[in-house]
Amino acid sequence: MTKHKQEIKDTRIHLCLDCGKCTVVCPVSRYDPDFNPRLIVQRNMEHRNRNYEDEAIWSCLNCFMCLERCNYRVEFPEFIRILRTETLDKGRGAQCSHGGALQSMMHLMAGNKLKQRRLNWLPKDIKLSGQYETIFFIGCAPYFDVMFKDLGVNILDGVKSALRLMNRSHIPFNLLADELCCGRDLLLQGDKEGFMALAQANVSEFHRLGVKKIITSCPECYYALKIDYQKMLGKTFAEVVYWTEAVAPLLDSGELRLGRLKQKVTYQDPCTLGRGLRIFDSPRKILGALDGLELVEMQPNRETALCCGASSWVHCGAANRQIQDERLTQAEATGAEVLVTSCPKCQIHLKCTQQSRNGKRPRIDIQDLASLAARSLDQEAG
Amino acid sequence: MKRNKTNIVVFACNWDGLSCVENAAQSRLSYPASVKLVKVSCLSRINSGLILKAFELGADGVMLLGCRPGSCHFEKDEKFIASEYDKAVNLLDLLGLGTNRLKLTRLARGDGQEFVGQVENFIEEVSQAG
Repeated sequence: MTKHKQEIKDTRIHLCLDCGKCTVVCPVSRYDPDFNPRLIVQRNMEHRNRNYEDEAIWSCLNCFMCLERCNYRVEFPEFIRILRTETLDKGRGAQCSHGGALQSMMHLMAGNKLKQRRLNWLPKDIKLSGQYETIFFIGCAPYFDVMFKDLGVNILDGVKSALRLMNRSHIPFNLLADELCCGRDLLLQGDKEGFMALAQANVSEFHRLGVKKIITSCPECYYALKIDYQKMLGKTFAEVVYWTEAVAPLLDSGELRLGRLKQKVTYQDPCTLGRGLRIFDSPRKILGALDGLELVEMQPNRETALCCGASSWVHCGAANRQIQDERLTQAEATGAEVLVTSCPKCQIHLKCTQQSRNGKRPRIDIQDLASLAARSLDQEAG
Repeated sequence: MKRNKTNIVVFACNWDGLSCVENAAQSRLSYPASVKLVKVSCLSRINSGLILKAFELGADGVMLLGCRPGSCHFEKDEKFIASEYDKAVNLLDLLGLGTNRLKLTRLARGDGQEFVGQVENFIEEVSQAG
């Protein structure tokens, strides 16, 4: 068929039984009848000479819900990624959200050898080690705070809090001044070339500084560094750890103690972190270690948690809004005061929807997990 | 004539902004050919994505040419300056491209002389930045 033949084979798409379970659980299909994973597979596998005009492929959220339900673990999100890459190769493009600003940022980072000013926000109280053996991968947090200032998001506050927790846990780390975007969003959009440029530049910087271990606070960066880089570059380069996984064992052993925070909260499982990388317990362990905090679960949660409706900065439409609205309604139904998440994208997109829900006033505050945990440190356990 | 290699994209508003460029042409004033003009209906139609796209495609500097404060035909440009312009400036700063590569110029209707002067100064500034 194409040069992507082997990649398509690797998704096990030929095992698809046409059973439609993926379509039943897909959050997009529920609101957008034109998006039907089962029919997308059928259309694009049967018609080998397809004309690359299947608009439906841009609506997938990559939430892994179909993969979770599929009896044969057919990797539909990866299949969509390949279809997108093929479509882009044919010169047809996606409709990028936010005026394409985020895509341009990633391309500028990849191609221009810029000297970024990405660490200007670093507070003096955060201690960095002089070595680069373990690094903390910041991700695009400084850029998100500029891009989504009008929504009142503060992603950097989450990063600063995670760094303070690292300090408190006596985990030494350093930061990279020349870190680039991980590129996962470009890959999900099908821009494999753009992703490879970013990935190769990042990995060569890791090699140059002798990085052995990488800690991240963004689930997307975590997935990219742990899974995508290895898959696309074909080699392992360092151990990748999510910050909650590094901190949670220290809570068990008593080396780290969190403070008091009297609040009722609910936790949003980010798709990439939960269904994608099976990290469900450590964020909950951190919430459980906060004295006075009550955790109530949304319905559904964990493996079946509803996506926040965020895509890889392409195609944000009515269906995305309805999914976000549904998730906010589920969060409000728990009676919690705070919706806690550890993904910047969940925070941005749910806050965006909160501002335009047909005049409904926001009834739940949205906060980052690290921010919440670090805030308790000032209030010692009673 | 010396060929100028500093690529400048000018997003000119269809109203007072573009009238300055037209006036410059009618008055036979010349400016470097590396200045590429993009006509837009109002500066409020420009977002940070378009500005970054110009840089991605190889522009060395971007000039936003609009009406003077209070003269916007749609009474919308102030909102643009408050949000998208500031956003673009901050993103350019973070990226390390430098904030002086983006210039907001607001001129009176038909001021061709001033436009040519400003665009030449801007080319000078950008080429010095390297």
